[in-house]
Amino acid sequence: MKRKFDHSAPAQRELTGPKYWRSLDELADTPGFREHLAREFPEGASSMEGVDRRQFMKLMAASFALGGLGLAGCRRPEAHILPYGKSVEYTVPGLPLYFATAMPLRKSAIPLLAETHQGRPTKLEGNPSYLPHGGASSLLAQASVLDLYDPERATAHTKKGDTLSATQVNDLLANINKAYAGSGEGLAFLADESASPTRARLVAKLKAQFPKAIWAEYEPVSDEPPVAAAQAAFGRNVKPLYRFAKAKRILSLDADFFHAESGSLYYARDFAKGRRVTKPTDPMNRLYVAESGISLTGSMADHRLRLASNHILALTAAIGGKVLETATFESLTKGLDVNSAWVEQCAKDLLEHKGESLVVAGAHQPVAVHVIAYAMNAKLGNIGKTVDFVEVAPSGASTIAALATAIKAGSVKTLLVLNGNPAYNAPADLDFGALLKSVPDVIRFGYYQDETSALAGTHLAATHYLESWGDARTADGTIVPVQPMIMPLFNGLMEVELLARLAGEDKPEAYEQVFATRGGDKKAFEKFLHDGLVEGSAYPAVSVAFDVQRAGAAFAKTPAFTALSKENLEVRFTTDHKMDDGRFANNGWLQECPDPMTKISWDNSILVSPKLAQELGIVPAGSLLQVARKEEAEFTQGKENARVFEVTLNGRTLRGPVHIQPGLSNYTIVLPLGYGRTQSGHIGTGAGFSAYAIRTSDGLGFATGAKLTDTGARMKLANTQEHWSMEGRDIVREANLGGDEGYATKSNFVKEATIDSHSPAVLGKDVDKSPAFIATTTPRGNSLYETPDFTGIHQWGMSIDLNTCIGCNACVVACQAENNIPIVGKEQVMRGREMHWIRLDRYYSDGHADAEAFGAEGNKALPEDPQVSMQPMTCQHCELAPCETVCPVNATVHDDEGINVMAYNRCIGTRYCANNCPYKVRRFNFFDFNKRATDALYMGPLGHQSEMPELVKMVKNPDVTVRMRGVMEKCTYCVQRVQQAKIAQKRKAGASGDVVIPDGTIKTACQQVCPVEAIVFGDITDPASEVSRLKAQDRDYAVLGYLNIRPRTTYLGKLRNPNPHMPDYSALPLSRVEYNQKNHPAHDAGHGAAHEAKQGGHE
Amino acid sequence: MSKIFPKSANALPLQIIIFLGILGGVAAAGITYYATPAYLRVGYQPVQPVPFDHSLHAGQLGMDCRYCHASVEKSGTSSVPAAQTCMNCHSIIKTTSPLLEVVRQSYVTGEPVPWVKIHQNPDYVYFNHSVHVNRGVSCVECHGKVNEMQVVQQDQSHSMSWCLDCHRNPAQRIRDPKDVFNLDSQTLAAQGKLADAQKFVHDWKVKPPTSCSGCHR
Repeated sequence: MKRKFDHSAPAQRELTGPKYWRSLDELADTPGFREHLAREFPEGASSMEGVDRRQFMKLMAASFALGGLGLAGCRRPEAHILPYGKSVEYTVPGLPLYFATAMPLRKSAIPLLAETHQGRPTKLEGNPSYLPHGGASSLLAQASVLDLYDPERATAHTKKGDTLSATQVNDLLANINKAYAGSGEGLAFLADESASPTRARLVAKLKAQFPKAIWAEYEPVSDEPPVAAAQAAFGRNVKPLYRFAKAKRILSLDADFFHAESGSLYYARDFAKGRRVTKPTDPMNRLYVAESGISLTGSMADHRLRLASNHILALTAAIGGKVLETATFESLTKGLDVNSAWVEQCAKDLLEHKGESLVVAGAHQPVAVHVIAYAMNAKLGNIGKTVDFVEVAPSGASTIAALATAIKAGSVKTLLVLNGNPAYNAPADLDFGALLKSVPDVIRFGYYQDETSALAGTHLAATHYLESWGDARTADGTIVPVQPMIMPLFNGLMEVELLARLAGEDKPEAYEQVFATRGGDKKAFEKFLHDGLVEGSAYPAVSVAFDVQRAGAAFAKTPAFTALSKENLEVRFTTDHKMDDGRFANNGWLQECPDPMTKISWDNSILVSPKLAQELGIVPAGSLLQVARKEEAEFTQGKENARVFEVTLNGRTLRGPVHIQPGLSNYTIVLPLGYGRTQSGHIGTGAGFSAYAIRTSDGLGFATGAKLTDTGARMKLANTQEHWSMEGRDIVREANLGGDEGYATKSNFVKEATIDSHSPAVLGKDVDKSPAFIATTTPRGNSLYETPDFTGIHQWGMSIDLNTCIGCNACVVACQAENNIPIVGKEQVMRGREMHWIRLDRYYSDGHADAEAFGAEGNKALPEDPQVSMQPMTCQHCELAPCETVCPVNATVHDDEGINVMAYNRCIGTRYCANNCPYKVRRFNFFDFNKRATDALYMGPLGHQSEMPELVKMVKNPDVTVRMRGVMEKCTYCVQRVQQAKIAQKRKAGASGDVVIPDGTIKTACQQVCPVEAIVFGDITDPASEVSRLKAQDRDYAVLGYLNIRPRTTYLGKLRNPNPHMPDYSALPLSRVEYNQKNHPAHDAGHGAAHEAKQGGHE
Repeated sequence: MSKIFPKSANALPLQIIIFLGILGGVAAAGITYYATPAYLRVGYQPVQPVPFDHSLHAGQLGMDCRYCHASVEKSGTSSVPAAQTCMNCHSIIKTTSPLLEVVRQSYVTGEPVPWVKIHQNPDYVYFNHSVHVNRGVSCVECHGKVNEMQVVQQDQSHSMSWCLDCHRNPAQRIRDPKDVFNLDSQTLAAQGKLADAQKFVHDWKVKPPTSCSGCHR
């Protein structure tokens, strides 16, 4: 169409009507106007200073085009390679370096190997040279590497707001040394507990130099039995070291030795040795647990007694009376409301296993309980067999109570607080915050500017253990080094150096001090640092004799048995599984890791039993509790809508959300410690409530006399697993060891007594062949989607033993550390967007679920006394993966060695794969979790762009892609480790063609950290590999195997070992009872009787 | 209803479709030719802070690649050497040359020499040098005749399809392992010994990964 610019004179007829004109010129119709119209652009506009406009536009367009075609505009940004100036010894660019160190925690330590990339630690593994741990490490150790890169750590020494330089700090310490020289009157220390030999040496020097100074040590939670108990029982300063591997019958009296007790890593591993079964004739140990809360140890129990912690003494006395065959403890058993058969049979079982039994009492229990437990062990002949008593040096430290008295008396002028956080976690009756304010000079040495720092005049920034020199001892006494992986990032002060300077040492550097402690021999020291331990340095076991006379003194002050009710509740203060005593509050990995039992992340809650909930009237109406229906259970859109209650104990109150926890003793409420920090950094501050507010010196572990009152308020909790029931499905397949239906008799229970007997995977005539054969030979059905032939040299597979898994969640955080998995924050977790690649599913079974899912009686109540089953769930790497067939862009494919691979760069974020996954193990990056802080996720491109601080980026593993928003991710069988092992093998192979990786070379992150070796990964084509042998066991099954997707990860069925004589004996585990009730209602024949579960002793 | 469009407008939809088709074709061709790695990356020859001459050092002087790129046989990266390596000779040779000032400063202060990176792969690609050079793939295959370059330039596209071309047919690009660092040598196939190359691939079990997990972690 041509541009019409010819505005000819109006036609004749228009002259008669109204005349319209656009300008006076047009009206006048001057010749100039006509010329004006004829030009597209009026005179003057098209030429600019001699340059014709059109010419100009042509030139500009041409140069833009030229610029656009790969020249100035599209030049790629310059990247640089930055080599060292001088080469660094041992460093090969691209390869990680491993150094031995240890993570100290209270009086024990976990020996570690730190993997460092370019000088910074990125991942911690257990030190395999330390055999009791066998290379495993714990949840807390795995997460501790993130603390090193916490941008909210203390980065400068401060005094009343002004920054101090290192010289000023040294002067400050030297001045204290001079000021108090000779007497130390007015000087006081409040330190955390430590087993470090160097610290002990320096403290002895300090005490010698300042004899009148107070050296107090305080730990808010105790993980070792009270010293008074051993003193009373044996007259020596000894502590027990349990040898669970040798024990066949174990009684735990409120002792959570899988987690809360010192040495738990060693105990869990040893226990698993006694639990592991490879064939039907293998023996298993038997665990009796009496506890008030529900712990990991309780969930492993074969017989679990719900009993208030206050009543444990009575139970111990009852069982002790039977085992020791004495009536001395009769008076202590008054009021105990426990089925006497439970007590009798348990005692009988212990007596039948003299020398192979074990009685363990929880560290927080009163001295009397420990004394009776020691007496039982002595009588049963366990000492020297299943329990060793090792001599430990007496601590010689004062207590925080004594220090508080001294401060009140005004005799403390200078107080040094070393680590810990007494302003936050000291017993409430001491009111330590006020005491701190009353001391003239408080110097706080700590890693964070926390509650105690806020009340201290001077804060000295401490170094993290990964950047410090020091040493420590493991639970059994082996001396391990703490060596730095990196120079202190913020010029912090090392604890050893602080003590050395205070003591006026000539060579106060921490390295020199640790070197001196080891004897000053360079070669020996290098060996010490290389090995990561000193051989044979464990505490020596001593022979002890139980002294009845002396032991009697321990019973002089026993806490009174208190009958409990709704108005008189017992409060149990537990060491939180992730926060410990609160020191890890600002660790995002730990906050987001769900609690193994409650499955709540980012918060703690007041745990109440279902019975108490009923009495309080807060049980969700309608009670379709097995399926969290929005309108009836207390979940709205996946967010637990918890009621906020007030706990009143001895005049002190706290408020917190209430969570109904099956398995608790009826009138015990559990308050996890370690939350409710007020000065912690943006992750820790405000998460949860502080139970320390009502905890007093006379009830550090548990206290009675509490009341609960409803405030009427509600609070949302981020619960990652609302659905606690298997609903009669055989997701976790269990059997007893003995009995008619037991594994020993019906070794094929995993296939015969489950859905596999009705609807097995379609394998045709290959059903009994090995997994390797099935993977490589059996055809995979008539799918239109072609999966690659499994022609690789290896075929990877994994086996997870549910029999030994304790549910500690260490694998969750290990995977997060290894694979750069981000945290998402509480808001996103409430939307179900947590990113953990491996999760621990926790199921309760009480034997009541029945066929009619929704209306049935059996499904109307939360289980009061359930059996607990744990199951780690990761990507199963199905050979016929449902996720692969639906990816529109082929971003998730199978490689020829059986790994289901994720190509992040190809993913467009359809999320169909996650939709199709039957195990729901795929995770989507809804936001730039790796780039944005958790409170800045919704910032669009127009908002303020918050980047992850440089410091936090340092924790990322360079061998794994860091994923961006919009990309799906999932467990990769640690493909980076697999590939690196393949590369290393090929590099070494040369002409030999020996490219097959030997079994055990590759350990996935979850496998490496697991203390009980429940997870095993390897090559299923090698019949001698560990994983092949496990898959060949008759307990091997695939979860949801009937879907015919052939997962490469299979599980070994769980076994329980109950005592047929016990009153709560059930011939089938309760999950099997539920399965039978659901799937074979009304008739029992053919699959064995579905015995009704009898409730055992309870309150 | 008056005619809004002239009759010639009837041909318009077909014209538009053909135009868009041609436009799409031209765009695709243009991008393929001008905007793929083979065009964008090959020939990239940035100016380096130190005018290091490979043709002098590796060519004329006959220095082995591994003298400087020392970690190529052990690790995924073939490292650019620390200034210390340069100073091994240049503390005696050309000690006052202004061209080497950056290197001398780096050695003394520890500040790195900011070499411009030429061969780059995206962050989600993990390439490992050691498994290639230990299994008969020479530096020349991917980096060209560096011993003849005065200023290093990118010789090959390093695109994924280029990598797969060799991964799918390794025998063509394999040479005798002892010739790997001899940049003037030839592949076995180029010497007419393709059968030997195939025997090598068979005996050494050379199975370059062709599935995603090989390079994408």
